[in-house]
Amino acid sequence: MDLECSRLLPALCAVLVDPRQPVADDTCLEKLLDWFKTVTEGESSLLLLQEHPCLVELLSHVLKLQDLSPGVLSFSLRVAGIFAAQENCFQYLQVGSLLFSQPGGAPGLRLLSAPPFFLSSPAPCPGAVDTIFSLQGDSSLFVASAASQLLVHILALSMRGGAKEQPCLQGDDWPTCAQKIMGHVEESLCSTVTPKVTQALNILTTTFGRCQSPWTEALWVRLSASVACLLERDPIPAAHSLVDLLLCVARSPVFGSSNGSLWEMVAQALSCLGPAHVGPLALGILKLEHCPQALRTQAFQVLLQPLACVLKATVQAPGPLGLLDGMADDAMMVDALLASKSSCAGLLCRTLAHLEELQPLPQRPSPWPQAPLLGAAVTVLRLCDGSATPVSSVGGHLCATLAGCVRVQRAALDFLGMLSQGTSPQELVTQALAVLLECLKSPGSSPTVLKKAFQATLRWLLSSPKTSSCSDLGPHIPQFLRELFLVLQKRLCSPCWEVRDSALEFLTQLSRHWGGEADFRCALLASEVPELAWQLLQDPESYVRASAVTATGQLSSWGLHDPTSPQHAVARQSLLRELLRILSADSEGFPRRAVMQVFTEWLRDGHADVTRDTEQFVATVLQVASRDLDWEVRVQGLELALVFLGQTLGPPHTHCPYAVALPEAAPARPLTEALRALCHVGLFDFAFRALFDCDRPVAQKSCDLLLFLRDKIASYNSLREASPNTDSVEAAPWRWRAHEQTQPQEDQEPEAVLAMLRSLDLEGLQSTLAESSDHVEKSPQSLLQDMLATGGFLQGDEADCY
Amino acid sequence: MPEIRVTPLGAGQDVGRSCILVSIAGKNVMLDCGMHMGFNDDRRFPDFSYITQNGRLTDFLDCVIISHFHLDHCGALPYFSEMVGYDGPIYMTHPTQAICPILLEDYRKIAVDKKGEANFFTSQMIKDCMKKVVAVHLHQTVQVDDELEIKAYYAGHVLGAAMFQIKVGSESVVYTGDYNMTPDRHLGAAWIDKCRPNLLITESTYATTIRDSKRCRERDFLKKVHETVERGGKVLIPVFALGRAQELCILLETFWERMNLKVPIYFSTGLTEKANHYYKLFIPWTNQKIRKTFVQRNMFEFKHIKAFDRAFADNPGPMVVFATPGMLHAGQSLQIFRKWAGNEKNMVIMPGYCVQGTVGHKILSGQRKLEMEGRQVLEVKMQVEYMSFSAHADAKGIMQLVGQAEPESVLLVHGEAKKMEFLKQKIEQELRRQLAWAACTETPQHPCRHLAGAAEAGDGLLPEAKKPRLLHGTLIMKDSNFRLVSSEQALKELGLAEHQLRFTCRVHLHDTRKEQETALRVYSHLKSILKDHCVQHLPDGSVTVESILIQAAAPSEDPGTKVLLVSWTYQDEELGSFLTSLLKKGLPQALS
Repeated sequence: MDLECSRLLPALCAVLVDPRQPVADDTCLEKLLDWFKTVTEGESSLLLLQEHPCLVELLSHVLKLQDLSPGVLSFSLRVAGIFAAQENCFQYLQVGSLLFSQPGGAPGLRLLSAPPFFLSSPAPCPGAVDTIFSLQGDSSLFVASAASQLLVHILALSMRGGAKEQPCLQGDDWPTCAQKIMGHVEESLCSTVTPKVTQALNILTTTFGRCQSPWTEALWVRLSASVACLLERDPIPAAHSLVDLLLCVARSPVFGSSNGSLWEMVAQALSCLGPAHVGPLALGILKLEHCPQALRTQAFQVLLQPLACVLKATVQAPGPLGLLDGMADDAMMVDALLASKSSCAGLLCRTLAHLEELQPLPQRPSPWPQAPLLGAAVTVLRLCDGSATPVSSVGGHLCATLAGCVRVQRAALDFLGMLSQGTSPQELVTQALAVLLECLKSPGSSPTVLKKAFQATLRWLLSSPKTSSCSDLGPHIPQFLRELFLVLQKRLCSPCWEVRDSALEFLTQLSRHWGGEADFRCALLASEVPELAWQLLQDPESYVRASAVTATGQLSSWGLHDPTSPQHAVARQSLLRELLRILSADSEGFPRRAVMQVFTEWLRDGHADVTRDTEQFVATVLQVASRDLDWEVRVQGLELALVFLGQTLGPPHTHCPYAVALPEAAPARPLTEALRALCHVGLFDFAFRALFDCDRPVAQKSCDLLLFLRDKIASYNSLREASPNTDSVEAAPWRWRAHEQTQPQEDQEPEAVLAMLRSLDLEGLQSTLAESSDHVEKSPQSLLQDMLATGGFLQGDEADCY
Repeated sequence: MPEIRVTPLGAGQDVGRSCILVSIAGKNVMLDCGMHMGFNDDRRFPDFSYITQNGRLTDFLDCVIISHFHLDHCGALPYFSEMVGYDGPIYMTHPTQAICPILLEDYRKIAVDKKGEANFFTSQMIKDCMKKVVAVHLHQTVQVDDELEIKAYYAGHVLGAAMFQIKVGSESVVYTGDYNMTPDRHLGAAWIDKCRPNLLITESTYATTIRDSKRCRERDFLKKVHETVERGGKVLIPVFALGRAQELCILLETFWERMNLKVPIYFSTGLTEKANHYYKLFIPWTNQKIRKTFVQRNMFEFKHIKAFDRAFADNPGPMVVFATPGMLHAGQSLQIFRKWAGNEKNMVIMPGYCVQGTVGHKILSGQRKLEMEGRQVLEVKMQVEYMSFSAHADAKGIMQLVGQAEPESVLLVHGEAKKMEFLKQKIEQELRRQLAWAACTETPQHPCRHLAGAAEAGDGLLPEAKKPRLLHGTLIMKDSNFRLVSSEQALKELGLAEHQLRFTCRVHLHDTRKEQETALRVYSHLKSILKDHCVQHLPDGSVTVESILIQAAAPSEDPGTKVLLVSWTYQDEELGSFLTSLLKKGLPQALS
C-alpha cells in the first residue's frame, strides 16, 4: 500500500462506520474491495492489519452498530474474509465468533470460503453448518447459492483434513462435519419437495466438479442409490439438475471407464427422462472421451429420434435412407412433437442445435449419418415453408405445426450450414441448394431467416469442391448462381434494411472468395446486381450504405463493374468520386468508415484507380479524413497513411529476434524525394494534428506512425542533421496541439518536419497513451479521495447518469 | 393459476444493469439488457449465468424486450446477443431501434478509450444485434408466438421509451421501464389503459420524492447560463449524445430566441444533426405542442445551435458548448474542460450524476485540485453546477400509473427497500387499494401472489366489474385519487357553485291576440295535457312546466304572429323537446 493511501485509510474507515456519512455509490465499495484483494495478494495481510489498526477497528465497530447500511456491513464482512483467509490473520482477528452473528448475509458466508484452519477443530462453530443448511432455502438466490457453495467448500476441506487414508465407504470414519453434510444431502435426496432435491443435487454437482480426490468416489458409492431412486419417481424431480450431476460424475477422472453402475444409471436416465432433458444428457455423453460404446449408441439414437420421426412422417417408402431405420419411434418423443406448437418447435430446435454442436467434434459418432441428417434438415425446412408432403397423420400434423415457424427455420438453417462441411451425395447437395434458394425466394421469409439462409448458402458455395480447371465451379454451380443472382436482385430491393444489408454482406463475401472465378463473374455481370449495389450507396439507412460501400469496393477490386455502363473506365472513376463524396458528405460514421477501409485496401492492393496518381489520391483522402468528426475514420486515415509510408519508405522492420535478417530492400526512392512526397500529400500535417487528438486511439495510432517514420529515417545514415530554424521547429507541434494550425501547410520542408519529429518525445507520449484514459481517476488513491470527498453530496441521484 | 416468477439478473437495488427475467405461464421473457457505467470489468453486464445454466439461451428465452435506448437498459444487448449467444427476437420501438446504435457506439468509444477493455463488442456486433430487432408500434399487439403477445404503451422519459404489456393466455405483466408522468418540453406523459395486469413491475427510482417544479429547475439553469455568458464566461455542458441533450437544446434555443441573444451555442461532434434527424423522423413520439407546430417550424431545427469545431474552444468571448461524453470521462468534453477549468468566469453544468472514476464525479464531490496525466495538477476555478434533468416518475407519478393500470400486484424495482416500503404504504393509503407487492432488492425470485378483488373507493357508487350497469356521477380527481360520486356530493366537497346549462327554442304561432293572452292559452293547453306535471302560470306572464320556461313575445314586424320562447335544462331534455314539438302543432281551436 502506498503512503498516500495509508494516510487516507483511517479517515475513510471513520467515514464507513459513521452512519451519518453516506458512501458515494455502490460501485465504490466494490472497487475498494478489489483494491484490498490486490493489496493482500502483494504483501503480508498480517503486517497490513498491524500497520493499519483502523481496519481492525472498522471490523469490530461494524458488528456493534445497529443502523449500519447493509452495503457497508456486507463490505466489512467481505474485507474480514479477505484477511481471514490467511491463518495468522485469522487468529489475529479472532473472527470465529463473529462469523455467524449476522444472519442471512451472503457476503458473510463468502467470508468462510477460504480458511482450512477454520475447520481444523472437530466442531468449529456449533450450529454453523445448520445455519448454512437453513440458508440454502433463503429467498435470495444469491444467499442460497452462496450457502450451497459454502457447504461444498466445508465438505471438501473437512475431507481433505480428516480422512488421510482411503476413506471407508460407509463414512464411519469421516469427519463429523462431513458426516453431517452427507446426512443432510441424503435426507434431501429422499425428500418429496423438489427444491430440496435440487439443492442436494447441486451440492453434489459442485462437489464432483471441483474435487477430484479419491474420497469423492466413496461419496458417490454412498449416494448413488439415493440418486438412482430419483429416476424411479414419476415425474422425475429436478431432472435438469440430475442431468448435470450425472454428466459431472461421468466427466470426473476419479471414476474409471469401468464404473458399471454409473453407466447403468446413465442408460436408465436416457430411457426414462423426458424429451426436454434427455437431449442435453445424450449430447453430454457423446462428448465424453471415455464411455462404453453401447451407451454412446443409445445416446446417439436418443439424439436422432426427433429427426427420425420427422423423416419417417414425410418420406415415401421406399425413399432415401432414413435415420434409425427399423427402430420403433419413441412414444414420448412423438408425443412431444405433437403436443403443441411450442413443444414441437422447442424439441426440434434443441435437437438441431445439439447435432450442430456435435458435428465438428472429433469424438462425434462414427459413422456419421451425413446423408440422412442432410435429408432431415432439408425436410424440416420444407415443413417450415409448407412444401413438404406428409405421408402419415403425424406428418400432416407436423406440416400444420411447423408451417412458418421462424424459430425452427433458423435452427435448421444453422444446422444445414454446418452440414456443408461433410461429404454428401450430389443429389442431396442439389436438394440442399434448392431448399436454400427456395427460402431466399420465399416472400414470407423473415429478415433473420434470410440472413441465416444467406450464411448457409455461402457456406455451401464456398465448400463446394472446385474442379481441376480453376475457372470452373462444378457442374451445378453456374445454373445455381444464375438463379441466386435473380433472388439477390430482389433482396437488394427489399423494403427491410436488414435484408438489403444481409444481401450486400453476402455479395461482398462471395465476391471476395470467387471474384476471380469465370463462372461467378459471368453470372454476376449478366445480372443487375452490380448496378443495384451501386444504387444502394444512396440508401437511406446508414448501415446499408456502409455495406454497399464495402460491396462495390470489393467488386471494383475484381474489375466487376456494371457492364451496361457505356464506358467501363468512366464507371470505375465515378465510383472513386462517389466514395469520396460519401467520405466528405455522409452524415453517418458507418459509411465513411467503410470508405476508408475500401481505400486502404485499394492502396494496399494497388487498385488501378489509385495507382494512376497515388499521391493525389492519398492527399485527397487524408485531407478529408483529417477533418472527420468520427474517431474511427481518423484512425483509418492513419492506417492508410501507414500503408502509404510503407510503400514510400519500405516496409516496417521485423523486430523478431529469431527472424533471418534479410538484406534491407533498397528504398523505393531517395529519402529527400520520399519525404517531399509525404509532405506533399499532407501526411505530416495529418499525423501531427492527430497526435493531439482528443480521442486516445487516434493519438496512439499517430504516435505509432511517427515512431515508425522516425525509425525508418534513422536508417538513412546519409541524412544530415539539419535544423533550419530551431525556434519555429520547437513551436510547431504546440501549434497543432492548440489547433492553431487549421490550414494544412503545403510548403513544409522535409528538413523542418524531421527536426520537429526529433524534438518530440514520442516514446514518452507513447507510454502515456498506452495507459487507460481514466488511469488517474481509477487509481486506489483517487478512489479513496473520492469516497472521502463524497460525504453528504448527491445522495440518491445515481439514476441521473442515464 | 400459473405462477409468475420475476428474477432480476442485473443489480436489483442499485441503478444500472436493468435486466429482469419474467417467467409467465411457461414463457420466459427478458426485460431490458442494460449495463452499469461504474465498472470496467464483467460487473458492468448483468449476470447471465442464471439463464445460461438452463441450456441454450435461444431455446430458453422466448424474447427480449428493450424499453428504451438508455445504456442502463440496452448497453449489454450486443454482448448478450453476439457474445453470450442469444439468437432469438428482440423487441423495441422504432425510435429505440434507430437510436440504440448511436448510444452503443458512443459507449464503445469510451470503452476503447479506456485501455484493457477485453470482452467488448465491435461495431459489426452492434449491427448484427440490431438486425435481430423487431420494431413495434405503440398499442400494436405483437404475437411473439401462438401463446405470447406483447403490446407497447407510451412512457415519456426519452424519445421512443415504452412500457410493455406481456400476456400469455389470461396472465399478464406490465413492465414500465423508466417513465415520466409529466410532459416535458419535447415529450408527452406516460399513459396506459386499464389493462388490469396480474403484476405491474415499475421503476421506483424516485419513490420517496415528490420532485420540485421542473420550471424552477429550468429557470435556474437558464439564469446560470445567462449570467455566465453575460459576464463573458464560457459554459460547458457535458451530455450524452441523445436524450437530455435535446431537452436542454430546446430550452436554450427558446430562451436565446426570446432574449435575442447572440452568444454562440455549439453542440459537439456532429451529433446534433444525427440526433435531430431522428427527432424529426419520429415527430409522432414527441409531445402535442411539437407535433402541432412542426409543419410551420420544426423545434429540432435549431437556429442558434451550431456544430462545434475543436478550434472554437480557444476563441475569445462567451459561448455555450454541449460536448460528449456526459461524465467528463474522456474525449471532447474533457478536453474542453481542461482548457476552461482555470478561469473563474467559466462554468460547467453537469445535467446528470457521474459515476466514481470520472472527472465529473470528482468535481461534483467538490474536489478542486485534480491530478491529471503526467502528474500535472489542474486547479478548477470555474464554477461547477449540478442540475438534474432526468425524467423519471416520482412517487406521485408512480401512484398515478398504478391507478391507471389497476394491477393486482405491484413489484418495485430500481430502488432501496426503505423507499419502496414508503411507497407501498402511500399507494395503499391514497388509492385505498390493498396491493400485493414485492420489493425487488437482492431477492431474485418472487412468486406472484394473486389477490382477489381489490377494495374500491367511493361512496358505494361503483358497480361490480363483472355486472356492468349505467351510472351517473362526477369523477373527482384529487391528489392522484380518482373517485366517482354524485354531483351534489362533488359540488359540496369541492366547494363549487352549480352552473346551469339551458337549451332554448323558438316556436312561431299564428295568433293575433296579445302576448299575455297567448301565454294564458298555452298554460290552459298544457295544464290539460300534462296532468302529472306541475304547470304554473307566473305573475310575469310566463308559463313553467318543471324546469321548462315558456314566454310569449310579439315580433314587431308581424302582429299576426306570436313567438314562444321555450327554454329547459338538460335534466328535462326529454320533456323539453316533447313540449316544443307539441307547441309546434299549434294551440287547439276550441280555445281560440
